[in-house]
Amino acid sequence: MDAEIYLDNNSVIHRLDPRTKITTFLLTFVAILLFEDPIWMLPVAFLVILQLLISGSMRNMRRIRYILIVLTISSLVLWNLFSSGVTPLLGFLTVESFSFAIARTMLMILMISTGMILISTTRNEELVLGMIRMGLPYRVGFAISTALRLVPTIASSTMTISQAQQSRGLNLQSGGLIERIRKFLPLLVPVFISTIRSTNIFGMALESKGFGAREKRVSYLEIHMRPIDYAVIAFGVLFVAVSIYFALNGYGKIPNLTRF
Amino acid sequence: MEPVVVINDLKYRYRGQQEQALDGINLCLNRGEFVVVMGPSEAGKSTLAATINGLIPNFHKGKLQGSVTVMGRDTQKHSVSQMAELVGMVFQDFEAQLFSTNVELEVAFAPENFAVERAEIKRRIDENLEYVGLNAVRRRPPSTLSGGQKQKLAIASVLAMKPSILVMDEPTTDLDPISKMGVFEITQRLCKREDLTLMIIEHETEEALSADRVVLIDHGKIVLEGPARQVLQDVDAMQRLGVMPLGIPRFFKTMGWKELPLSPEEGKTAFQSAGWKVSQAKYDQMVAAEHAALDRLNKPLIQCSGLEHVYKNGAVKALDGIDLEIFEGDMVAIVGQNGSGKTTLAKHFNGLLMPTAGEIIINGQPTRSQGVFKLGQKVGYVFQNPDHQIFSETVFDEVAFSPRLRGLPEDTVKEYVTQALEAVGLAGAEKEDPFALTKSGRQRVAVASVLAAKPEVLILDEPTTGLDYAEQRGMMNMVRHLNEMGSTIIFVTHHMWVVAEYARRVFVMKDGKILLRGTTREVFSHGEELREAFLRPPHFVEFSNSIGHTFLTPEEMVQCIEGAQS
Repeated sequence: MDAEIYLDNNSVIHRLDPRTKITTFLLTFVAILLFEDPIWMLPVAFLVILQLLISGSMRNMRRIRYILIVLTISSLVLWNLFSSGVTPLLGFLTVESFSFAIARTMLMILMISTGMILISTTRNEELVLGMIRMGLPYRVGFAISTALRLVPTIASSTMTISQAQQSRGLNLQSGGLIERIRKFLPLLVPVFISTIRSTNIFGMALESKGFGAREKRVSYLEIHMRPIDYAVIAFGVLFVAVSIYFALNGYGKIPNLTRF
Repeated sequence: MEPVVVINDLKYRYRGQQEQALDGINLCLNRGEFVVVMGPSEAGKSTLAATINGLIPNFHKGKLQGSVTVMGRDTQKHSVSQMAELVGMVFQDFEAQLFSTNVELEVAFAPENFAVERAEIKRRIDENLEYVGLNAVRRRPPSTLSGGQKQKLAIASVLAMKPSILVMDEPTTDLDPISKMGVFEITQRLCKREDLTLMIIEHETEEALSADRVVLIDHGKIVLEGPARQVLQDVDAMQRLGVMPLGIPRFFKTMGWKELPLSPEEGKTAFQSAGWKVSQAKYDQMVAAEHAALDRLNKPLIQCSGLEHVYKNGAVKALDGIDLEIFEGDMVAIVGQNGSGKTTLAKHFNGLLMPTAGEIIINGQPTRSQGVFKLGQKVGYVFQNPDHQIFSETVFDEVAFSPRLRGLPEDTVKEYVTQALEAVGLAGAEKEDPFALTKSGRQRVAVASVLAAKPEVLILDEPTTGLDYAEQRGMMNMVRHLNEMGSTIIFVTHHMWVVAEYARRVFVMKDGKILLRGTTREVFSHGEELREAFLRPPHFVEFSNSIGHTFLTPEEMVQCIEGAQS
């Protein structure tokens, strides 16, 4: 089964230096957090969607669409409950709480999207190398990339395990909420155990290949900052600077909004 | 001869264990030597392998006595990473030991750790990918490679450190026959290199033939050690230890021959020089009895016609026009290379997969109208890896899972569980923790947990993988017994000797089609077509083919020989 997250598309974004992509990723986070009015979030939303389209990462977003839908619905409901305003909209809903809920939902989806763009366009090794060149210790960078690497492995073993338990008569589609949750036990335990087993071998293989044998490690992979990288970072910094300027001057707030 | 590894009175006990995993091992490996280590499960083989690069005692904590010295370095005083430039290690699990996103980077990983210059890393990547034959896929992610290619990549990535000693812990256990051959072909070349000492832990006795030395261990002790020929001729000792003895020397031994031949070629020469003959009358009688027994099975249980399956996002047909009938009471083996469609086909038999074209009828009804839940009661499916299904705290609960889900009353559940555990030879183990059992024990629990639902058909996916010879025999004897009690058995396997000795009929698959079908004897008489499907009969069957008759076991061949002085 194809469970890789990295998409080998070779788009403009793929060809950027990992440091550029990590910087853009961090800048996007800042930009997303600045405003509470969804209208003011549109520019950054536009940029993120543009990146999704250019890099072809939409494919990965489609793969997690069910999670996204669940998150969207629950976030819309919850943020409406946890905030209120003065202009009535429908029932207990107010215009203010409703737009705030939309903004918070956008925030969440955009964060997921920008993270997804980063890992869909950057090989694991590039990501590690980028993080190290930006000052992170090698072991920390490697740990992060290992965590990412585990995702596809766990996904594919979950598939097999679910088939095995279905063959034994487990029917995940029936029953009430509590019963359904209980039914996940026969899936979770084997997933957990087999992951631990393979992590153990992973650790042995890592040591056996001389992990951390020398103080300094050579990287076979080379990364270069090119003019386009500087241009992208410059644009990002400018964009965030302008956003901060507006935010500090009181733009992008929702008047009369009360958050609990 | 210059010793590169010196193991001196080595004893080791894992933390929290009572028993010694290694109990006084003395062993020297010489420069350029090729040593094969064999022994039953839990004998201490992997433990021994892990002591050579210092994984024991540095990674697995425990109590170690004695010493292991590799080229003058004491493993207890050096970290695993420091030992790594001397000792390369390849593991059985080819998924877990690869961690890069492309083939080149995987090979680069180890030299990177040793701060090798970039130009030299490039050279080593080229050299080693060429050596193992993976040059064409050098930009692909390892996850898209076949099992055999992954294992070859693991070997290349370790060779890139230029180790003086290469240790491989059951490198081919999880591979199909052709991938096995690919890996063995590499070891054949490696063992000719004088600068490299090779130690391989292996279950496949046929592959130990090319070793310089074979070491048999049991209970953490060396029980037999010597030149490969000498050890492999000691058929009785191997059998006693639970290591698979070769069929050819077994046959000649029973016939009272002195100098036991080992390979099919030697066997043929010896057979001719002995002046023996196969009695055609007895052979025909045996074949006729076989056909008569199969003819008695006439109630079709599974019928496929024009069965096709295309996976989602898949371009190729995983199954391409399968027509077959399986009768009640049959014992059928499905064989073929990885990716030939064996497992896809088997998953249609219990409704886990539905055909994308064509039809499959079970007990007179299309599977689509029955679904996996209903069909699962009739057709039990034992998955390859027992660890993919075991989750309960006791063996009883694990085995009771399926009958309970089907809403049976607790009395009946208890009765069924007891019967199922009896059938797999685990009676009385109800209260044990399934995770604490050995691999073969867990495999048996998995089979019992499927049996407890009282299926009429039992599908087993690779039931013998990861078990030693005695356990494989035990497992298959149990399966045969179930067949004799009336269950229909379908098993998917890579182990050709298991097919030869246990299947009644065989389907050989290639590229989603059935390439060859018939009784086991008929199928194994077609050496050419089998090779086309990247399979190979066991040495013994090849040998019997070369003298003009297909025999599946030494015992039945002995029965049909005339001209021997007894």
